[in-house]
Amino acid sequence: MGKVIVVTSGKGGVGKTTSTANLGTALALLGKSVVVVDADVGLRNLDIVMGLESRIVYTSMDVIEKQCELAKALVRDRRVDGLMLLAASQKNNKDDIQPEQMKAICDKLRTTHDFVLVDSPAGIERGFSNASAGADEAIVVTTPDVSAIRDADRIIGLLQNAQIEPINLVLNRFSAQLVGNGSMMDQADVLDILNIDLIGVVPEDSGVITSTNRGIPLVYEDASPGAQAYMRIARRLTGQRIPIPDLEDKGLFNNIVKWFTRNR
Amino acid sequence: MANPIVTLRAYRDGLHLIIKPRLSIAEVEEAIQQEISRMNRPLVGTSVQIVLKSPVLEEEEISLLRSKLQEDYNLTVRGIDVVDDESVSPPIAAAPTTHSISQTADARAPRNSEPSRIIPHTIRSGQTEEFPQGSLIIYGDVNSGSEVKAGGDIVVLGTLRGNAYAGMNGRLSAVIIAMDFAPLQLQIGNYACRSPVSQEPRGYAEIARIGAEDVIIVEKFDKF
Repeated sequence: MGKVIVVTSGKGGVGKTTSTANLGTALALLGKSVVVVDADVGLRNLDIVMGLESRIVYTSMDVIEKQCELAKALVRDRRVDGLMLLAASQKNNKDDIQPEQMKAICDKLRTTHDFVLVDSPAGIERGFSNASAGADEAIVVTTPDVSAIRDADRIIGLLQNAQIEPINLVLNRFSAQLVGNGSMMDQADVLDILNIDLIGVVPEDSGVITSTNRGIPLVYEDASPGAQAYMRIARRLTGQRIPIPDLEDKGLFNNIVKWFTRNR
Repeated sequence: MANPIVTLRAYRDGLHLIIKPRLSIAEVEEAIQQEISRMNRPLVGTSVQIVLKSPVLEEEEISLLRSKLQEDYNLTVRGIDVVDDESVSPPIAAAPTTHSISQTADARAPRNSEPSRIIPHTIRSGQTEEFPQGSLIIYGDVNSGSEVKAGGDIVVLGTLRGNAYAGMNGRLSAVIIAMDFAPLQLQIGNYACRSPVSQEPRGYAEIARIGAEDVIIVEKFDKF
């Protein structure tokens, strides 16, 4: 029996889709069977980030309307074994799907795959309740800025009300340099506010933009720091215990500056 | 806009319903109805002190008023004061210059009879906890974008980053205590204040209350 994990954030543009594509690919590279589900009906993107947009024939809407079997709607990613995509319909909108219907799909996928990653749309409305309806666990993606953190906080409250446990945090677009000169919140500050378990920190990496445009998830680029971070998160999801490396700048000067600003 | 006939005011010992002189009972009733409908929250279950400016309403008019307040608005009448219009009126919250803090000494009294509710978790953005009957104790943080409201005091055993509103029924002796104080807005009774921009938590517990200058003051919390 596999796990259904919803990837969500509240705020848009913090890296939900990128994280879903990369974690899905990373888990498949680790030998797991994975389905990534795009729950952003009407504004689908996951197919593009994964480079599968030309191969979509059926969507989750067709499965719900019984136009095709669930297995037939899954698009196989040919680059790695065991990775499938269930695309969202682009011509419908989020109100055309009921949470129970999404839950039924997730429950079916869970019996055949190790991991089902659901890419949630931004917002707290129907799209979010559809995405989280079938979830056992959640990954909340946030960037270290106050607006993303407030939205993440809101989403965590809603996930807790829905009794989705555990809720893990991915801190995305983290810049050691900006933390070093005191203009970005550090890990400890974010965790102090959100008070949930951190499953990984992904550094700011311009490779994400190229990889999105080329439709090749970052994790295939072994040397990229972002790819390494996603691989570590995937390993943690499979139950391996891997410490979170300290990405903060260790330069002496920065530390002195930080020490002074902290103790102001 | 202030009602010319009756005024609801919050004082340290609770709400006062001030009725101006020389009016018929019908006019007073209508004015009360207007004044209460003007309030943006229900007053159900709270008590009021009626303050009558002389010349006074008749005895039976007063008892009529008392039962009407009870039936129509579920307001209990705590007592009735008759104030000679020429004498000094009671200190008014809206007029800071005449307001003296004479009642801080018995601030504990209403607290003793109040119930309290414990919230055993952090209150997150978008969540609201409201407890008009008494005080709130929060075992966790009150995060930015959330709101806590209590009829009595608010005690946060964590960091207060959201909005806190104590004494929502008008008890001005209510206080707000937090282990780390970085709220967006504070309100006690009808007094409100906003925190200075980018206030960092100071690392010790602080208490907000209405001080002698008739403003909300926040200071280091030593003991109650």
